[in-house]
Amino acid sequence: MAQSVLQVNHLNKVYGKRKETQYHALKNISFAMKQGEFVGIMGASGAGKTTLLNVISTLDQASSGSVKIAGTDITNMKQNQLADFRSQQLGFIFQDFNLLENLTVYENIALPLSLQGVAVKNIKPSVLKVAKNLGIEEILPKYPVTISGGQKQRVAAARALVHEPALILADEPTGALDSKNAKSLMETFVHMNENLGTSIMLVTHDPLSASYCQRILFIQDGQLYKEIHRTHKRNEFHQAILDVLSEINKPNEW
Amino acid sequence: MLVKLSLSSMRKMFKDYLVLLFGLTISIAIFYMFQTLAQNEAFVEANKMISATMFVFHVGTFILGFITIFYIFYATSFIQTLRQKEMAMYLTLGAKKSKITQLMFMETLFIGIVSLVIGIIIGMGLTAVIADVLMDMLDFSAEATGFKAIYTSSIITTVIFYIILFLLTSIVNAWQIGKKKVLDLLQANKQEDVIKTSGLKTFFGVLVSIILMVIGYYTMIHIAKFQHFGVILATITIVPGTYFIFISFLPYFVKKLKQNRMLNETGINSFTLGQLRFRMLNLTKVLGTVAMLIALGLGAMTAGLSFYHNIELQASSFQANDAAIYEPTKEDIDTIEAMDVSEKNTYEYKLTNDGVFFLKDSLLEKPPLVPHFDRSMEAISDIQIKRVEEKLPASLYTMDGTEGEELPDKWLNAISLELNASYTMFGERTVYVVDQSHYENVDAKEKQVIVTKTDDFSKHVSSFKQLEERQQEVAESYVGKPVDNVGGKYNNYVSLKSFSSGTVFMGIFLGIAFLMMMASVLMFKLLSSAGADIERYHMLRKIGVRQSLLQRSIYRELFLLFLFPAIIGLVHVLIGMQMFSFILVEPYTKVWLPISIFLVIYGLYYVITVQLYKRIVLPKHH
Ligand SMILES: Nc1ncnc2c1ncn2[C@@H]1O[C@H](COP(=O)(O)OP(=O)(O)OP(=O)(O)O)[C@@H](O)[C@H]1O
Ligand SMILES: [Mg+2]
Repeated sequence: MAQSVLQVNHLNKVYGKRKETQYHALKNISFAMKQGEFVGIMGASGAGKTTLLNVISTLDQASSGSVKIAGTDITNMKQNQLADFRSQQLGFIFQDFNLLENLTVYENIALPLSLQGVAVKNIKPSVLKVAKNLGIEEILPKYPVTISGGQKQRVAAARALVHEPALILADEPTGALDSKNAKSLMETFVHMNENLGTSIMLVTHDPLSASYCQRILFIQDGQLYKEIHRTHKRNEFHQAILDVLSEINKPNEW
Repeated sequence: MLVKLSLSSMRKMFKDYLVLLFGLTISIAIFYMFQTLAQNEAFVEANKMISATMFVFHVGTFILGFITIFYIFYATSFIQTLRQKEMAMYLTLGAKKSKITQLMFMETLFIGIVSLVIGIIIGMGLTAVIADVLMDMLDFSAEATGFKAIYTSSIITTVIFYIILFLLTSIVNAWQIGKKKVLDLLQANKQEDVIKTSGLKTFFGVLVSIILMVIGYYTMIHIAKFQHFGVILATITIVPGTYFIFISFLPYFVKKLKQNRMLNETGINSFTLGQLRFRMLNLTKVLGTVAMLIALGLGAMTAGLSFYHNIELQASSFQANDAAIYEPTKEDIDTIEAMDVSEKNTYEYKLTNDGVFFLKDSLLEKPPLVPHFDRSMEAISDIQIKRVEEKLPASLYTMDGTEGEELPDKWLNAISLELNASYTMFGERTVYVVDQSHYENVDAKEKQVIVTKTDDFSKHVSSFKQLEERQQEVAESYVGKPVDNVGGKYNNYVSLKSFSSGTVFMGIFLGIAFLMMMASVLMFKLLSSAGADIERYHMLRKIGVRQSLLQRSIYRELFLLFLFPAIIGLVHVLIGMQMFSFILVEPYTKVWLPISIFLVIYGLYYVITVQLYKRIVLPKHH
């Protein structure tokens, strides 16, 4: 059995201080993710997906329960430890504001390595390698303003990948892309996952994007609602996802 | 409804508004401070040493007003960028554009009026404190000169000027908001800086900036050769040269820094340098202006102070010794002995009703020191101090040769200036230098005069004051009527000082006002672009950059941005002071003082800017 890269145990997240109106955004969530897995998180708007991702990514603190990434419990770490942990073990891709516009593509990708104090002579080969893998060698000297949205997300993926983190977290990375670019980005993820063995956790609204994952966790009202695995072809999986989604939406009929 | 919303959001953004309020208040306070001098014509007239002083003030008002206009626009655009999204939201919710514009207008005006009130009060306090300190330093009193910290006509000018300015900016801002499409407002923060550099253009710019600076500096250093033409040449080369430095040379320099991979790819440097590079390109004009104005403000201060310190040097250029004490009392001798005396000669003389007789032998025994002027001399500092060398072969001398021989030039100097044997001291009496036999025939009591020189005149001013007060009595007893100025070095020093301290005061006062204004322009321009950086720092935090590292990056980036204009301004001043070398004895005396004042003011702004900037861009908690 492959080692687990992520273990979430009885995780709770309550927004709002005591005495104030409280909101229970995550309720007793437990699941695990194996090394090299490609997991999708889906659910209606407000279900708690971003909250879950933020807690896992150490950007937000859990109210109770534990999160272990690559064997390290992050729930009780201090701010600086968390920052270091993020920079070493995690890679991020967001829907927006992914790149620093005042740095070239090359510098953007190199930043995580520089921050970790990787020797300068080792930085360039790493950047070139990951850029080649994602097909963005051509645009390395450019500034983000001058490249397309799809290219930007691929650069973001390269930056998330360059320091070989234990886990890549993506929050609706295809949200701002057209279907063609979305497809190409998802294929990039699959490529990263299959050929480089990267563990990826992807939050998305888009069933088609989700169909590239191996497993989907559905969240509803802060609780784990259902889990489905991809066994067959992608379009069948796509259909299965759509079924679950319509099932989720039915009971509370909007 | 909208007003309520606006008020509540203003409350939420209280901190940001505080920044705006702070900036406006400073600007108003400084403007007021400047006006207390500029408007007080009586003061300026009474204290001007140079006839153009009033003109300088008008030019100063103009420059300050001009900067203030820019300043207000920066400051208000700072708050505007913070509010744009919210305004856009109201618009999408269906609020009328005219209503929003109106709201924006009222907001700007409201803040303006609040800051006007606070600003003038602070301005009064600031003026009083600075004036007090300076006047104390320069030994001159406010009452005597008519200088007032609370000056009605300055208050009126300040109020009118700023009300007009606020109205203007409110209108322009409201109009700009009105002009923009909702979409532009919504995406206000996403505007990206574009970098445009062409290799050839940069190279040319760098070359031009270096050539211009070299020409300018050369003419300033050799100003004696170029005279008036040099001043003009220096101005027309250094001003554009400075801008060229900021437009081409510094961006080029940072680009080169960035190309050093060892540096750029270590830690967060690539981000810091990237920020710096983009910011520099957007700030070229501001940085150039700041550098120029630092040079002007610091120059005014340095020149003022060095005028002040030169008073002593100038006073001493006519006399080699510091004082001549006739009929010294026990007390006088004690006073002299308490100082570090490098020269103390006693000469004998006799006094009758119509003559003063100095004993030649006692003068020749140890001839007094006199300054030696030389035709080829360029600066006052070239004056050499030597003893009188001429022998005095005749048996009787007078100053003009009406009896006996005429005194040789050097001796004439020695007697009239070093021994202060002047009309004010002795009245109508004829001054003689006589040999022993003549001397013995004079039927009067022998008296003594001590001629003394200390290691540093300015250190012992108060002692000399005492000695001179006694000399005044001696002179009065000789002349038989009140004497108001016995002459001598101390009195020269006092009158030179009172003559110039008004001008010096204005120079320093203006210098300080300018520097304070300058640095706050830079601060505001920097803060007004901070809004766009929020996302960047947010993202860096997400990818795991430690808070302390982010802070360090901010400190460094802003440090460099503050540093460049400071260095260039300082170099301008240091080299520019050469221009004064022909009026001032030592233009660089105590140059550290204005430089320290500058560094303190500037450093303070740097720290405040960093703190405010951090508050804007770094995530609130942790
Ligand atoms: N900082 C916060 N304080 C209070 N409540 C919050 C906070 N952040 C999120 N919530 C609440 O927690 C719930 C879950 O939010 P979350 O952002 O995780 O949803 P999501 O599943 O990511 O939704 P979407 O698909 O729209 O992005 C929502 O009801 C939201 O209102
Ligand atoms: Mg979300």
